Parts: sequence; structure tokens; C-alpha cells
Amino acid sequence: MLHTEDKKSVLSQGIIIFVYLAILTGLEFLVAISFDSVPLLVTVALVKAALVVYYYMHVYKLNLEQEDDTSYDYKSDTNRLGLWLFLVSDSFVFAGLMAMRINLLGLTRPELNQFLGLAVTAVLLISSYFMNRGETLMHNGDRQGFLRNTAITFLLGLGFLLGVVIIEWHTIPAIAEAVLHLFGEPAGVEPLKPTSGVAGAAFFMMTGMHAFHVLTGLILLAIVWFNGRRGLYDEKNYPVEAAAVYWHFVDVVWIFFYPALYLIGTVVK
Amino acid sequence: MSKTNPVRSGLLLLVVGGAIGYGIGLVLDLLISGSLNFNGSVAAAFALLLAVTSFFFGIYGYRGITRGLVFQVVGTLLGALFITGIRALLGSKTIFGPFFFSEPAWVFGALVGDVSFIFGVGVMNDWVKWARGIDTPEHHEDEPGWEKYFGVSLDHKVIGIQYTANALVLMAIGGTFAMIFRTELAQSQLQFLTTTFKLFNQTGPQFYNTIMSLHGIMMIISILLGVSGIMNYVVPMIIGAHDMAFPRLNAFAYWVAVPATVLFLMSLVLGGFDTGWTGYPPLSARAPVGMQMFFLAVFTAGWSSILGSANVIATVVRMRAKGMTAMRLPIFVWASIATSIIALTATQLIGLSFQLVMFQRLFGMGFFDASKGGNPVLFQHLFWFYSHPAVYVFVLPGLGVISELLPVFARKPLFGYRWIAMSSLGIALVGFTVWAHHMFTSGMNEYLRVPFMYSTLLVAVPTGVKFFSWVATLWGGKIETPTPMLFVLGAIIVFLLGGITGPPNAAIALDLHLHDTYWVVGHFHDTIFGGFVFPFFAAIYYWFPKATGRRMNEFWGKMHFWIMTPSFLVLTFGMMRVGLLGMRRRIADYDPALGFDSTHLIMTIAGFLIFFSVLIFFINLFHSINHGEKAEGNIWNSRSPEWQVPSPMPVHNFEVPFVVVGEPYDYGLADSKYVEFSPNGSKHAERTAVPETEKHH
Repeated sequence: MLHTEDKKSVLSQGIIIFVYLAILTGLEFLVAISFDSVPLLVTVALVKAALVVYYYMHVYKLNLEQEDDTSYDYKSDTNRLGLWLFLVSDSFVFAGLMAMRINLLGLTRPELNQFLGLAVTAVLLISSYFMNRGETLMHNGDRQGFLRNTAITFLLGLGFLLGVVIIEWHTIPAIAEAVLHLFGEPAGVEPLKPTSGVAGAAFFMMTGMHAFHVLTGLILLAIVWFNGRRGLYDEKNYPVEAAAVYWHFVDVVWIFFYPALYLIGTVVK
Repeated sequence: MSKTNPVRSGLLLLVVGGAIGYGIGLVLDLLISGSLNFNGSVAAAFALLLAVTSFFFGIYGYRGITRGLVFQVVGTLLGALFITGIRALLGSKTIFGPFFFSEPAWVFGALVGDVSFIFGVGVMNDWVKWARGIDTPEHHEDEPGWEKYFGVSLDHKVIGIQYTANALVLMAIGGTFAMIFRTELAQSQLQFLTTTFKLFNQTGPQFYNTIMSLHGIMMIISILLGVSGIMNYVVPMIIGAHDMAFPRLNAFAYWVAVPATVLFLMSLVLGGFDTGWTGYPPLSARAPVGMQMFFLAVFTAGWSSILGSANVIATVVRMRAKGMTAMRLPIFVWASIATSIIALTATQLIGLSFQLVMFQRLFGMGFFDASKGGNPVLFQHLFWFYSHPAVYVFVLPGLGVISELLPVFARKPLFGYRWIAMSSLGIALVGFTVWAHHMFTSGMNEYLRVPFMYSTLLVAVPTGVKFFSWVATLWGGKIETPTPMLFVLGAIIVFLLGGITGPPNAAIALDLHLHDTYWVVGHFHDTIFGGFVFPFFAAIYYWFPKATGRRMNEFWGKMHFWIMTPSFLVLTFGMMRVGLLGMRRRIADYDPALGFDSTHLIMTIAGFLIFFSVLIFFINLFHSINHGEKAEGNIWNSRSPEWQVPSPMPVHNFEVPFVVVGEPYDYGLADSKYVEFSPNGSKHAERTAVPETEKHH
């Protein structure tokens, strides 16, 4: 399955990649709750990330050639290089956080509601699918399709953000407890706090940094949605691609953070 | 404003604004603490903020940098008041702290102030317009004359000079701090920074620690800005681009450095901090509020480095002139690429490590708190993952300047072009694997020591390649020694001393004894002066005519060199001597029984001579801008494209683009050409017309 430019095959490619990602995520979850295999979880995460980086973030579009051109496409290629350089830089923050987690927690993890973790992960993954769809449609001049899919992406992203910040963080205890009850959490479980040991510190730092990136991604999505509605991207649509690539990058980070926080190792109390 | 001297009105307002701020701070402090603290932090903080803002108001009026600073001051106060209000509503016991605002209030205020500055100065204007769907022209026309340097400009040459000026300001402040504590060190015992000394809520020894720490970090940021300054000014010009790839990002990267500079000064007055520039917890987890200002300042300045590097890489990859293949790139461009790779990636880790300490202090998260299961050594790993490669960020462009200028003045081809180009990348990549050599005594796992020793020793190989090339380039050359060349030769000698004192520190057995002594301080100053400061001065003397159309005074340039170099060698030899005899670094006092009082006195005298020589440089610089000898042609007889057109350089560089047809450093070879100007050259060099109606705001 090589990359392609044809609209129909790009759309169906997006679906196939999404199915792969969903299966791999399910596999991850089952591996974690049945037998604890770090190498397997790491491999699955790497495969998922590679799929997103190649097919959703289409890293192959990077053009490092020096040409003699001042066209919009040439400038977009330069902008694409700039964006990827920024993402490389940004990934060092997340790599540093991962190193912190490994150093402080090793093969242990905090006690968290597994079903809530899977739910927010699924929401973010589905949002990535719709983002890819929206970007492809805009690239083919379908403004309405772009707006519809980007709006769905935005709502799913917002759902992820609220799921983490309100429920997982217990910022509004009443709502958090009600939702966690739905996910089968027994009453009276002490929630994780930033001050409760290194597990809490690592968890809040990692999810917090990721949530901050989700928030900036949502702002970018809102900007391209409003400008797209006014027809700004009918011809020159690099900004849509940039927002999409950034959104997928946030997803890639979660592909590593989800197993690191929820799946790997044994629970400590 | 046009009739009065702007500097005079700036200085006048500096005094007036400072006095008003001092008064406000005094009254606020009285209301909270109930006593008058004439040398306390609160009065000083308000005086500082208002003095700096008023100074620029006097010079430039309410626009550009002044507007940014006003926004920063107002933003800081509003942010701090916001948190103070919330704490009051929540019934917190500590609504106000010893520094008027509580620590969380100061931190949040400083953060809001940072962001407000960026919006106030106007560097976000175009991006905000783009987000709202409004198109803007590719370029804006700059104000004429000196005024463009005080506002947002998108021209890479203006931004390069802004960076350099800011670097020089930080260097002057950091150097002044060094003079203060060098004076205290001239004799054993405490002379004036005594325990009865009180300033900004600090005693004498505490104040010593603060200015010692600030000397370190302000010089480091000065170097980072200086590196960006040279890269910004020179790289687009010598590759034949009309500007950087992302002019707005370029301006943004510069302007975040200004609020960072203000925050460094805030850290001085808000209680200071006594950790040294490394900020290790657990000490940094309990130092005064100044610690937090320091963290925020480094974090902010780090963004300058990261975004600037991304811009340099994109520019070189995408905007070179026709025919400029990888092996025909000027060496300085190779060095810039190598340095940018480090700065782009590793800088994030120092930001992260400082952020973790900030959060530990603010929210009680236990990253480095052993009582909560945290690990202080983790901080050192994260911190040095940047902070060791950072020294290569400092020296690689400097070494690039040496290789760039040496063939010009030796009138000979550069020896071993490919090896030099690759050695920069080699140093950068090996540099990523050496960080834990700072931690041999930290209590990290012992099996880590030996691999880090060997990787560290490996750095000497690509560095040695450079030395062989320089010596071979000089060999048999027709050497000319104007001021830039003197500094290049000085750089080679001083960097050699820094280089050969490095491997002893890398060897574990020796390092266990040398760690944290003045020996290391001597080694470090030799590498950084040789690798950055000397080449930086060389670059300023060399490219000054390109920027102004005038050259700096040769006589005073040579005086600068001949006073600074011997004094500097005496200073660092003294540092190494007292270090080997047992002088610890970062302390205000030492035991007279150790018997090196006289060495310290000689070092202090040498330090003042350096200070004096740099003063000569500053006077020469300011004087030459308007009164220097006219130099509009190729005064160094260089082959580089920027010297083939008259100085000063026009706004979008080359009116007629050039094509690269030969090797860059074939000096002294008959009929060898490097560049050929032709209208068929790269489109990237074309002048982009600016509509007359588009005036810069």
C-alpha cells in the first residue's frame, strides 16, 4: 500500500489505516490486562506511530531539494520543513518526560481506571481519522466535507481534553465520580493527586503537557475551520495540512503515553 | 523628540521612572511589611521595571520595544494581582509574601508579562491577522536610520544586529557582575560583601552567590544571542538568500529574548538565588523567588534558540544560490547547521528540567524530592543533556568564524575543506553522548562513568582536525594581521589551551579531584573565550563595515586585543593554579592558609584589565558607527559574495543574484572564481518589491 494522490484511494487508505490502528490498540489493551509484556507493548506502539507518521502525517511529502522557485507550492514545502523541524524539537520534550517516567517509576504504574483510559484513547484515535478525512477532502476542493469532518475532529478532541482534565484529574469531583462510576470504578477510591508521590507527579506532568498540546491543536483547528468556511483554503490549503499534521503529532505522543501511563508494568498504590 | 538627543532624554527618564518606581515599591512594601526597606526587593523591583521602560520611552517613544515593555510591566502586575485575588478569595494564609506578591503570583505574573511583551511589541500582528484570515504583504518597509532597531523588523540583517546588541548588553551586565565578585575575591576573608551587607533582601555572601550565578547564566544567554546574531546577519547573505526562510518567526525568536533579559534582572532583585547557573535541586527547590524568575528567563530565552535554529536549517536547506552544493557551502554555514541541530533539539531538555523544578515548588510535585520518591540525579541528567551540548552551540559558530576568516587573511586556500565541514557535524553528534561527564561525583550508577569518559575523549578527535587544518592553512601563507585576524589567531591559541585542559577533566580518576575546583573554571573560560568570545569580536570587527559602511578604528582595535589577550591568559592560568591548589568554585571566601592570596590579587588585576579593554571596544564601536573611516568596498579582499557588492548591504541583499561557479576558499590561486553575478541567478536572491503604501507600523 503505497501513498497515493487519488481522492478515493486516499479516503479508503485512511479507513484501512484507522482499522489497523484500532485493532492494534485493542491488542495493546488485551495484552496489558492479560499478561504483561513490555517488548510487545513497545513494538505495538512503534508500529502504530509509524503508521500515523507515514500515512496520516505523510512525512514523505517532505521535500529537501533546492529548487529555483518562488511559487506557493515551493513555499509550502519550506513551511512543511519548518513544521517538521518544530515537531522534532517538540518530541524532545515528550522524550524527556518519558525518560523521567522511566527513571522515577520503572516497571510500575499508577492505579488508574483502565476503561476510562481506553475510552479517551479511542476518542483521540477516531478524531485522527476524521482529521485525515477532512484534510483529504479540502485538498480535493470539497469545502463542506472539510468543515464537517474538522468539526467532528474538534468535538472529539474537546471530548478527550475534558475527559483527561475533568474526569481523570478529578478537577470537578462530582462529575468525575459519576462518570467513573459508569466505567465500573468502585466508590471511595482515593483519586491520584499531583502531590501524592512520584507516580502522581509523573502522571500529571505527562498528561498536563499533552493536554496543553491538545489545547493548542484545538485552537489551530478552530482557526482553520473559520477561515476554511470563508473559502480561504479552496486554492491554497497548506494551513489545513499544517493543522492536521500537528493534530496527528499530538495523537502520536499519546500513542506512547497511553501504554506508558496505563498499560506497562505493575500497579503501585 | 526630533530636536532633543534621544539618549539624553532616555537617561533622564530612566532616573525619573526609576525614582517613581522606587517610591511606589517603598510604599507598597511599607503597607505589607510595616517597615521601610530602602534597599529591599520590592522597591528595587518596581524601580527596575519602571526605569527600563522609561528609558526606552525616552529614546524611542511609545512604540516598538517601549510598548512591549509597558505591556510586560502591566501584564506582570495584572497576572500577579489575579493570583493574589484568587488566594485572597480562597482564604489562603499567605496572600502576600516577603517580596510583596507571593511566589505563585510572581511566577504567573512574570509569565503573563512575557506573553504580553510579545503582543505589545507587535511581533504577533501578522500572525494574528493570518489567523483572522487577513493577508499581509511578504515584507514590511523598515523605518529609516537607527529607529528600525527598536521596533519589529523582518529584515534578517536588522534582526542580526538586534541580537548582537542585546548580546553585548547582557555581556556588559554579566561582566560587571564578574568585576564585583572578582574584587571580593582579591583577598581572603570578606571585605565588602560581608554578612552585615544588605541589598535586595540578601546578605553579602548571598548577594555574592546571586551575582556569581547571574554572571554564569547572563553570559551564556549573551553567547546564545551572539551566536544567533552572527548566524542571522551572515548566513542568508553568504548563501545568496534575500532573507531567512521565515522572517516573522525570526523576529519572534529575537523578541522573546528581551522579556527574558528583564526577567534575569528581576531574579537579581527578587531575593536572588544561590545555586549557580545550574540550578540543581534540592537547593533550587527552596531558594527565594529569584530562582523562579531565573527559570522562567532561561525558559523564555530557550525559545529564541530553538526557533532561531529551525529557521537557520530551513533557510540553508531551501534558499541557497544556484550552484551552491553541499561541498561548496561556506564553512560558517556548516558550523551554523551543526550548532542549530543541537540547539533545536537539546534545548527542550533544559526547559523541561527547569519546568519540573518550578512545578515542584509551585504544586508540591515530587520529581526531585527524595522524601516523595523523587530523584535529584534525574534533574542532572535532563539538565546536562542540553547544557553540555550547549557549549558546542557556543563554540561551533566561533570555530566556523575562525575557519571562515583564516584563509582571507592567510591568502591561502583553507586546508582540508571536507574534513573541517564534517568535523563540525562530528562534534555536534558526539556532543549528544557526553553529558554525564559532569556527574562523575554525583552518585549516579558507576558503570555509566567509563562509557561517558570515552565518548568525552572522542570529542578531541574532530576538534583536533580543526586545529590541524588551521595550522596547515597558516603554513606558508602571506599572513596579514588587521584586527579581525589578530582575534582569530588569539582565538586559536586560547581555544588550544581550553582544549588541552579538557581531557584531564574527562578522565574519571582525575576528575574526582578536579571536580568543582577553579581548575574547571579556568578550563571553561579558555574554551568559551577561545571558541566564542575571540571569534565574536573578530566577526564584529570583520563584518562591521558591511553593516555600516565604515570600519572600526584599527589602533583601538589592536589595543583591545593586546590588552585583553595577555590579561586573559594570566587570569585563566591563575584560575587553574588556585584550582589545583584546592580553591573551590562558587564560594565567596577562601582560607588564607592555602597560600594563594597573591594569585587571586593578580587575577583580579587581570580581570580589570579585560574589563578596561572591552570598554575600549564599546567606545570604539559606538564612535565608529558615525565617525569611523569610510569603507564601502571589499576592504578585506575577500572572495565571499557579500564583499563583492558595496557596503552597507541593501535591504534584500543582492540586487543582482549570483551563481556559485567555484570553490569558496581558493585564495591565491590564479583564475579561480567563487561567485559570478548574473540576472539568471537564483530567484531566492531577487529583491521583493515592497508597495509604497505599506508602511511599517
